[in-house]
Amino acid sequence: MIFKLALRNIIGNGWRSLINIGIIAAVLISLIWMEAMWYSWLVLAKTQQKQWEFASGMLRSKNYDPYDTFSWEKSYAPIPAEVLPHVESGDIVPILYAPSVIYPGGRQLSAMVKGIPAGQKVLELPSSGLAPSEDGPIPALIGKNMARTTKLGIGDVFTLRVKDSAGAFNAVDLQITDVMDSPVPSLDIGTVWVDLSALREARLLTDVATVLVLKEKSLQSVSAPQYELITEKEFFADLNEMVMTKAVGQSVLFLLMIFLAMLAIFDTQALAIFKRRKEIGMLSALGMTKGQITRMFTLEGALYMVFAAIASLVLGFPLFWYFATKGFALPGGVDFGVVGFDRPLKFVYPLPLILLTLVLMFILTAFVSWLPVRKIAALKTVDALKGGTNA
Amino acid sequence: METKTVTITKMSKAFPTGEGEFLALKEVTLDFGAGEFAGIVGPSGSGKTTLLNVIGSLDTPSSGEVDVLGYKVSQLSAKQSSELRSHHLGFIFQTYNLLPVYNVYENVEFPLLLLKMDSQKRDRMVKDALEWVGLTDKTKSRPAQLSGGQCQRVAIARAMVKKPSLVLADEPTANLDTENSLHILDTMKNINANLGTSFIFATHDQKVIKYLRRVIRLVDGEVVSDDLQTGA
Ligand SMILES: Nc1ncnc2c1ncn2[C@@H]1O[C@H](COP(=O)(O)OP(=O)(O)O)[C@@H](O)[C@H]1O
Ligand SMILES: [Mg+2]
Repeated sequence: MIFKLALRNIIGNGWRSLINIGIIAAVLISLIWMEAMWYSWLVLAKTQQKQWEFASGMLRSKNYDPYDTFSWEKSYAPIPAEVLPHVESGDIVPILYAPSVIYPGGRQLSAMVKGIPAGQKVLELPSSGLAPSEDGPIPALIGKNMARTTKLGIGDVFTLRVKDSAGAFNAVDLQITDVMDSPVPSLDIGTVWVDLSALREARLLTDVATVLVLKEKSLQSVSAPQYELITEKEFFADLNEMVMTKAVGQSVLFLLMIFLAMLAIFDTQALAIFKRRKEIGMLSALGMTKGQITRMFTLEGALYMVFAAIASLVLGFPLFWYFATKGFALPGGVDFGVVGFDRPLKFVYPLPLILLTLVLMFILTAFVSWLPVRKIAALKTVDALKGGTNA
Repeated sequence: METKTVTITKMSKAFPTGEGEFLALKEVTLDFGAGEFAGIVGPSGSGKTTLLNVIGSLDTPSSGEVDVLGYKVSQLSAKQSSELRSHHLGFIFQTYNLLPVYNVYENVEFPLLLLKMDSQKRDRMVKDALEWVGLTDKTKSRPAQLSGGQCQRVAIARAMVKKPSLVLADEPTANLDTENSLHILDTMKNINANLGTSFIFATHDQKVIKYLRRVIRLVDGEVVSDDLQTGA
């Protein structure tokens, strides 16, 4: 009954209802869009980072502290006997890091040189061209970003100086064989990739590595006491945190929009209570209880939200569809310095999150509608019937 | 003994004013039986509306007893007085007080929605009520599209649709011309005759007074006379 009446009021309210529904629907569409963008980006970033860098897990040498540059020189540890067969079979990819100095075109720059087996198949990093030839410079791979800062291109030869295990500097000649378009900036910025064996040779090292990348999750249980297992959760902690920070930064805009929508509802409701005072008196005279009247007006406000949700799903559908299939490209290829933003982002929709948003918005609308309606309870029927303002 | 619809015993109503209280009704004692067509008559400010409001449990008496259809008005909870109004009372006001967003049919249907009945029965009752007042061709119109006389007929249909025991009409003709006034008075008189519904009017309109079977004169909140009119 109350529902029917509330519905009638909304329909009877005509264009004012439409404006309210329009405003809320616009806010909902933006909310869903924004949530989908951050979520899709996070999903994409994780997928790409797994494909290019992390695979199914990572064992990191305990000698390596990513935050301590002085540790990098001796950041390796021997590959344990139990791991070696997996390295043989290609299921575990050892990577060796070494701080180095490169001399591209007569300049001097420090870079992290990383050795990876040229034949590895676990990561999408294009290492296949790194297999060293008998003589001539060692093949090297860099990212687009690194190519820009070093002004190096395919075919260019430059010198790299790296410390060997005895602490002496060795200089080797490298030649760029490939410039990759890595979606993971950390594989690109300040990094030079060479074949693992070539790097070991230059550093007079044998079976050592800084990190061991695992193809399968089951390999996480191999015994490698000098290594520390980095789980997915730990690995992506920074990424998650960054997305949260950025999303929270954006949320100010959203709170503003939600506030606007709520204001529209509050205003409509407050005005209704004021203008429809006499009507409320009549409803009471006809025998409606204050509870029923309060519920009716609250429901009326909350129904705006229901209609807006339907409207936003229907009206927003083409938009949502477009972003899911064509993707979202940042104008002018803005470089966010973060994973995954250099190509169109195809949206995936976090349904539970969207549902939660709708439910929260519904509760919020119901509350905001109820706020001005509360006053009804304090209104005497006779006074309301007079329509005046002397409550 | 005749069953009483309304029994008022030494009822007073005081309104707080700037400097104390204003006594709008002074120890009124009255009763109404079933099927009455009575009017409270008196000059403006004599307390007619106040008396009607107390009978309709829209307002509470300051002292004395008011019994309406077995409900003790001064002791009712908000819920009980809603129940009394929704089940047993009909109201007609000078300003019609129709619900503007509802059409004629919906306005008349409203009291029945509060009573929870099946939709077929409801539909039949709404159509009956619209027939009594001669508005069967206006069911889809909004109040804003109707004349004053038509609005008041909708209000009568709304008051009558649930066949209440008692209808309270406060200056129902004050905004109507003679023709419309007589039309609605005829309508109400017919309903009174056919359904046995009690009507209590508050009015100072001579046209209305002519129709009344019983005239209660109120002056400054006091009943000064209470007469039956045989000519009506
Ligand atoms: N809420 C109120 N507060 C103070 N005085 C009131 C109130 N309602 C009515 N009165 C006073 O009570 C008297 C009777 O009013 P009312 O019953 O409306 O008279 P009538 O309907 O006969 O014109 C008037 O003098 C009026 O000013
Ligand atoms: Mg009056």
